[in-house]
Amino acid sequence: MTYDDYLDGKPTVITAALTGGVHGKEAHPDLPETPEEIASAAAACEAAGASVLHLHARRENGERAFSAERFQEVADAVRAATDDAVLQHSTGGTAAPDALRHEPLRTDPAPEMASLDMGPLNRYDRLTSENTRELVASLHAEMKEREIKPELEVFNDGHLNESLSILDDLEDPPYLNFLFGGGTTSPPHPRNLLNRVEALPEGVEFNVIGFGPHQLPMTTQSLLLGGHVRVGLEDNRYYEQGELATNEQLVARAARISEELGRPVATPDQTRELLGLRGR
Amino acid sequence: MAYREEGDGRSFETARAFCTVTESFVQPMRADVCNARYELDPAADCEFYVAPESGSDSTADESESPDADR
Repeated sequence: MTYDDYLDGKPTVITAALTGGVHGKEAHPDLPETPEEIASAAAACEAAGASVLHLHARRENGERAFSAERFQEVADAVRAATDDAVLQHSTGGTAAPDALRHEPLRTDPAPEMASLDMGPLNRYDRLTSENTRELVASLHAEMKEREIKPELEVFNDGHLNESLSILDDLEDPPYLNFLFGGGTTSPPHPRNLLNRVEALPEGVEFNVIGFGPHQLPMTTQSLLLGGHVRVGLEDNRYYEQGELATNEQLVARAARISEELGRPVATPDQTRELLGLRGR
Repeated sequence: MAYREEGDGRSFETARAFCTVTESFVQPMRADVCNARYELDPAADCEFYVAPESGSDSTADESESPDADR
């Protein structure tokens, strides 16, 4: 993944992070929470150019859910509403017991992709998502067993060390997701993404998330460096300052910028080929 | 904490967790603390629960809260 990939017009994988698990309708009145709402947003985002749909599950009142049964409801609704997009289940969950963190992997069929948080991070003043190496290894082992492609979540440079240390244990191509924002995520600055990309061995694919107002500039920089992008209301609620966004709007903007920069938006089939996925 | 359909100038179809200390609807992750799920303890894990007792101010900033759980 290099500037040469940009020059070569490599297709861009756009991931839509539709809902997340931290904020809800108290933060954005149209943030999708129920399976039906998530499915509707998923269909709109697929039509706008997203080939990967990053999914969390919630209770009817918007609170977090981790059970395989609830993820099954969400996944079934999304599959019914979409044509061919890749489903990616979150295995994140601050304060949730380790056993629950495995549940999103156990739907039928299993998701093609799942997130894998690569180390500790803080929440609020008193919570930490520990993501011990033992938990990371056990989640990864189950992903391998179920042919689920892990997206390694690199919240900061320490997590890059952790990711590089297991590179040989990953199917080709390894897929790393770089996150930029506040707190225990990396400071959002173009030079920090440049440093990350320079540290990657050849053959590694990467994706970029920028939280809040950093979503647009950091994902655009990723396009120039041959990387992929994730957008959506999980990471950013606004289209511009003071104007709430929809998931579809954020995906459409990312697709438009990618095309303008000479990188076509990857179809689901192209995404499967680029990332080495097993198929829906 | 209480479950309400209205409060803080907003209304919802389904009752949501409402913090009676901050007088605002809380984020879903915070609701897990309020409900003492997953062995969380509101007295120990919620800065807003403790703050009135100690008289200290929270440093939490939720103006733009990235989802740290991927």
